[in-house]
Amino acid sequence: MKKASFALCIAVIALGLALAAGVKTFLAPCVHEDGSFGACHWAGQMLLGVGALLAALGLLALIHRNQSVRAGLLLAAAAASILGLLTPGTLISLCKMSAMRCRAIMQPAAMVLCALALLLSLAGALAGRWKKMRCS
Amino acid sequence: MNAFSLPEKNLLRKPGRTAALMLLTAFLALSVFGGTVVVSSLQRGLGSLESRLGADIIVLPSSAQSKVSFEKLLLQGTTGAFYMDASALDSVLEVEGVEAAAPQTFLASLKADCCSVKIQVIGMDPQTDFVVQPWIAQSLSRELGEMEVAVGCKVEADVGEIIRIYDERCRVAARLAPTGTGLDTAVYCDMATMRQLLRAAEAKGVTHKLTSDSGDMISAVYVKVKDGYDVDRVNNLLNGHVRKASAVRTRSMLTQVADGLAGVSRTVALLIAAVWALSLVILFIAFAMMVHERRREFAVLRLLGTSRRMLSRMVLWEAALCSLLGAALGLGLAAALVFPFTTLIEMNLGLPYLAPSVGLVLRYAALSLAVTVAAGALASAWAAWKLSRTDPGATLREGA
Repeated sequence: MKKASFALCIAVIALGLALAAGVKTFLAPCVHEDGSFGACHWAGQMLLGVGALLAALGLLALIHRNQSVRAGLLLAAAAASILGLLTPGTLISLCKMSAMRCRAIMQPAAMVLCALALLLSLAGALAGRWKKMRCS
Repeated sequence: MNAFSLPEKNLLRKPGRTAALMLLTAFLALSVFGGTVVVSSLQRGLGSLESRLGADIIVLPSSAQSKVSFEKLLLQGTTGAFYMDASALDSVLEVEGVEAAAPQTFLASLKADCCSVKIQVIGMDPQTDFVVQPWIAQSLSRELGEMEVAVGCKVEADVGEIIRIYDERCRVAARLAPTGTGLDTAVYCDMATMRQLLRAAEAKGVTHKLTSDSGDMISAVYVKVKDGYDVDRVNNLLNGHVRKASAVRTRSMLTQVADGLAGVSRTVALLIAAVWALSLVILFIAFAMMVHERRREFAVLRLLGTSRRMLSRMVLWEAALCSLLGAALGLGLAAALVFPFTTLIEMNLGLPYLAPSVGLVLRYAALSLAVTVAAGALASAWAAWKLSRTDPGATLREGA
């Protein structure tokens, strides 16, 4: 179970880094010709923060030996993932057309990455808890 | 412990092997489910385009070289603006065999409210239109009023919201049902609103190379041919009678799209076949190796009183359980890859793409799950059969 917990922490870190790096590269929001920023730019910035937070929480969970602390950190990562899920389109609006980059690429990719991070961080938190229950 | 609990424990005790087998079956389920959904979406898109066109012939201005741009407008939602004199409508109606003719006027906006993309504005006459009006009628029980628009499902504007086109305030009266075509990205209004928008565009310095007043210009005429008349003959008559315009049969347009769809379907089918062939061979070898590796364990079970049938059932159950978990993973992965990225897939394919209904998706998922589990069990069947034929005493003596 320890190995599984480690693997889940590493997966959360990878997803966080993919999200943070993605919104600056292949998942970047729309680029306006006149250089101005639309709402989707700020949604991208928020996702960058959420991605970095996920990676940091995953890293802390990875290096912490205490199972309860690790579970707590992974639960925090789950909460951050929910924030990431709600950011594009719900908390911060995006462009008006579905064919725009922010709606066609950034939003679905961010939602998939955040949904995976949510599932894995919850699984990681529960994995530690399950082991504790079995031992007691 | 029984014939069902032992395989479960085996799977849990060997997480690496279980994960590898699950990954293989996940690929099988992913390819079947993902491929089926994509092909089904393309077929629904073609059907939707066919019903949405609703005309036998479309008359377009010849000067605009417009057939290609019109197709792009229909399929990919690219903007287009080409015009001919409104008298073309009268010429069309004069041709023998024409039952109904519906004019449309196109205008490309500068940009939408918050983003740097142009949107296509399509003006039509609600009294005579038989193409867009029935579609609008599904969402709006009355005709569009002055400075009111109906928006395609891919324009993110709610009913009652005000959108600005060339700084003119237009109220969204309806959001239209999805068609899976470029028509989903357009905004629809009546001819009076369109005339006002054209004037606003000209005031903003956007030239449309109009030869006369903007009120007398149209972009296309949709033609319905009377029953009993040959569409090709009417098409030829229109080409000869309407000046500076060319008539295009919608059937030829649909045939091109259908050809494109057939090409994509073939490619998807080939990919699925390749993934299946490869995965089945690997699964077959993996199960054979697994049984060979565990032959002493099975021999001990036989000596402890496990019957041949029970042993075979255990191997089959282990394979089925592993395939079930792998298939569920594959379905999840396919859903995560296909459904959120519908717009991206549609844009890259350049073909009409309309996602299937929830009921149909669930049916495809159940079918993919059943096929994948059956394939996994089938791949282990030979290993299970071989195992039931082995003499346990001889197996144990081999390793002594």
